[in-house]
Amino acid sequence: MLKSANFQDLRKKAAEALDYRVRMITAGLGLDELRAVMRGDPPTEKPNPRYKVHTTSFLFHIRPRYYEKGSTILTHTFRLGFFTSLFFFIELFTGLILMIYYTPSPSEAYGSILELLSNVPYGQVLRDMHRLGAEGMVIFTVLHMLRTYLTGSYKKDRSFTWMTGLVLLLITLVLSFSGYLLPWDQLAYWAVTIGTSMFEAAPLIGTQINLIARGAPDIGANGLLRFYLLHVVLLPLAAILVISIHYYKVSREHGISLPAKFEEGNVPPEAKKEAKQRIDFIPDLLTHEVFLTALGLFILTAAVTVFGYRAALEHVANPQVTPLDTKAPWYFWWLQGMLKVDPASIIEGLLGAVGLKVELSALLNSKQIMGIVIPTILAGLLVSIPYIDRNPHRSLFKRPVAVGLGLLFTLVVLVLSYMGLPQYAIKTPVATRIVQDLAPEEGLGPLRSVPFEQLVAGVYEVGAATPRELCPGLITGPETPAGCPELTEVFAEYSERINHAANTPGLENFERLPNAQAVMLIEDWQVDLKKITMRINYDDPVSGKLKTYERHIFLHRHHGAE
Amino acid sequence: MTAKPTNASPEKKQVNRREFLNIAWLASLGFLTLNLGGVSYFFAMPRFKEGEFGGTYTVGKVTELPPAGSAPVNYPKVKLWLSNTPEGVAALYKVCTHLGCLYNWNSQDNKFICPCHGSEFEANGTYIQGPAPRSLDRFVVQMVNPDSGEVLAESADGSPLPVPNDPNAVVRVDTGRRVTGSTHA
Repeated sequence: MLKSANFQDLRKKAAEALDYRVRMITAGLGLDELRAVMRGDPPTEKPNPRYKVHTTSFLFHIRPRYYEKGSTILTHTFRLGFFTSLFFFIELFTGLILMIYYTPSPSEAYGSILELLSNVPYGQVLRDMHRLGAEGMVIFTVLHMLRTYLTGSYKKDRSFTWMTGLVLLLITLVLSFSGYLLPWDQLAYWAVTIGTSMFEAAPLIGTQINLIARGAPDIGANGLLRFYLLHVVLLPLAAILVISIHYYKVSREHGISLPAKFEEGNVPPEAKKEAKQRIDFIPDLLTHEVFLTALGLFILTAAVTVFGYRAALEHVANPQVTPLDTKAPWYFWWLQGMLKVDPASIIEGLLGAVGLKVELSALLNSKQIMGIVIPTILAGLLVSIPYIDRNPHRSLFKRPVAVGLGLLFTLVVLVLSYMGLPQYAIKTPVATRIVQDLAPEEGLGPLRSVPFEQLVAGVYEVGAATPRELCPGLITGPETPAGCPELTEVFAEYSERINHAANTPGLENFERLPNAQAVMLIEDWQVDLKKITMRINYDDPVSGKLKTYERHIFLHRHHGAE
Repeated sequence: MTAKPTNASPEKKQVNRREFLNIAWLASLGFLTLNLGGVSYFFAMPRFKEGEFGGTYTVGKVTELPPAGSAPVNYPKVKLWLSNTPEGVAALYKVCTHLGCLYNWNSQDNKFICPCHGSEFEANGTYIQGPAPRSLDRFVVQMVNPDSGEVLAESADGSPLPVPNDPNAVVRVDTGRRVTGSTHA
């Protein structure tokens, strides 16, 4: 008996020692308390040890003790802010790992990406996650901002938080943009060239900023190194600092805003009381965050594996050759679209309509106005929204002007983004356009997607008596027993567009191909290599002289696996 | 002589020694910050060497220039086309003023044509047609005495610089000074 009593004593002591250690690690939660947290039981001790964690632990001191129940409704926040920061941390993590294999120099950078893709286990997945995470972070930042605007959560006590959010939007955009250059492929090089040359329009400081950012008049070794250092050191540090400030305001000062329906109008007291109920961080918010993190990681992983998202990688950067259809990253398309608008001619047109004739193009430099002046005014407006908007209401229906303007602004940004596309208002000669659409300089396109065995050597002439099927005798495989449907389809599109440009009356000069003669020539060039020539002869609409546009495309049997 | 104690009101406290010193330290730190800003600016600003894009580039003696009116010559290292027109020598920045593509000389039509969107320019950079908003940008061209280094003539506005009679003069282009092409109506 004595022995067993001693044993019990020992067990108790060991349990106490263990409990003590656990309390040290968890900053105050004992074993029983931890179990209760995991099970969702009420606190086991008094005073509530779960609140103590928020004062003793550094990582928890920035987290909220509780949120009000009404503010945690899913359709109020959609967890957009959470996902923005989750994506930021995913970027930090994947970025740190990618740095192991990356060398920031023009001669090495592209090769290190190829090495990462082809020779490093999980290298491609990590790169895809990093790229998709960056896109996700930009999208969630914008959506989070839109949500804050629509629920009127920038008002009163939260105006400073709104401003730090705008700083974070800027940091997010620059972070993403600076990372764009690093793979050093054509896409990166020219998108960043276009992006940085927008700054050049800024009076006085534009050239200076550009020189400092690029380290030279154009992007080279210095520019790559500078963008790299911005991307991996300065901007992440700035982001961590400002995210902390932004989040501290939310978590420790004013909390997430309650939906307007609990604060405005005749709210029954019991509904208000219910909305103001506290939901503790430990355990409820914490477990919810764990769930959201798992969900976010799951979706991101699924996107880069099951759904096959691939971060684009074009040919190695060539400062001597600008690819057709060069464009800025998608979140700057609106700016590119704005640069295509010429305010001088619009005002001249408007005044001309009422009979005034003025010459403004010398006064108004459209690139300066659209690229710098208007974005600066916009930034100023966004910062001062909480001070301009004096309407005390937050409900959507009680501030129709603000909501209307917000939606209009969103719409304008979308339209401008569309105008930023290279297809809009750029007069590419139609012969170039047709060939580029069928076989783009970068990326796949319809022609390169045609299965290799369907590329039967021959001269295919547009307008000649075309058989319904180009190569009827060809046996291509069990599913397509005869013929080459994909090639026929591509050729049909080629013919249709040539004929359209040749025969449709009323087109503009650059869209016309008078007396067009077009061929698609497929040759067996080497073993497993085909040469495809697309040649268009036409009379120049202006001079009437014969002109030729020609492109050669080489396709290897295994080009899909490159 | 019952002088009242001066500055009895609390809001009119005089600056004491500690406050003065604290302000002085703060001000000196402020100056240091300004200083660091200036130092960073000069530190980060790229420097250009002779013969490199962004610095001056010596093309050669005037006697070595291609004959006036001949096809412009490409200098890819310093990003320019040197054009010896009948009016003189012009150095054209090789980037199209439209969207930054690199244009080429078309010897058949005797003009520059941009492959991206078809803007066309004369040999001296003047806009002919196409979507480009202005004529080609030019660099400042100088005629230099090779012995003394003295600049004999300079086209500060980038316009074609007449070739001097002195056969020893050297043509030099300052690629750090780019003159924006004039906009067309």
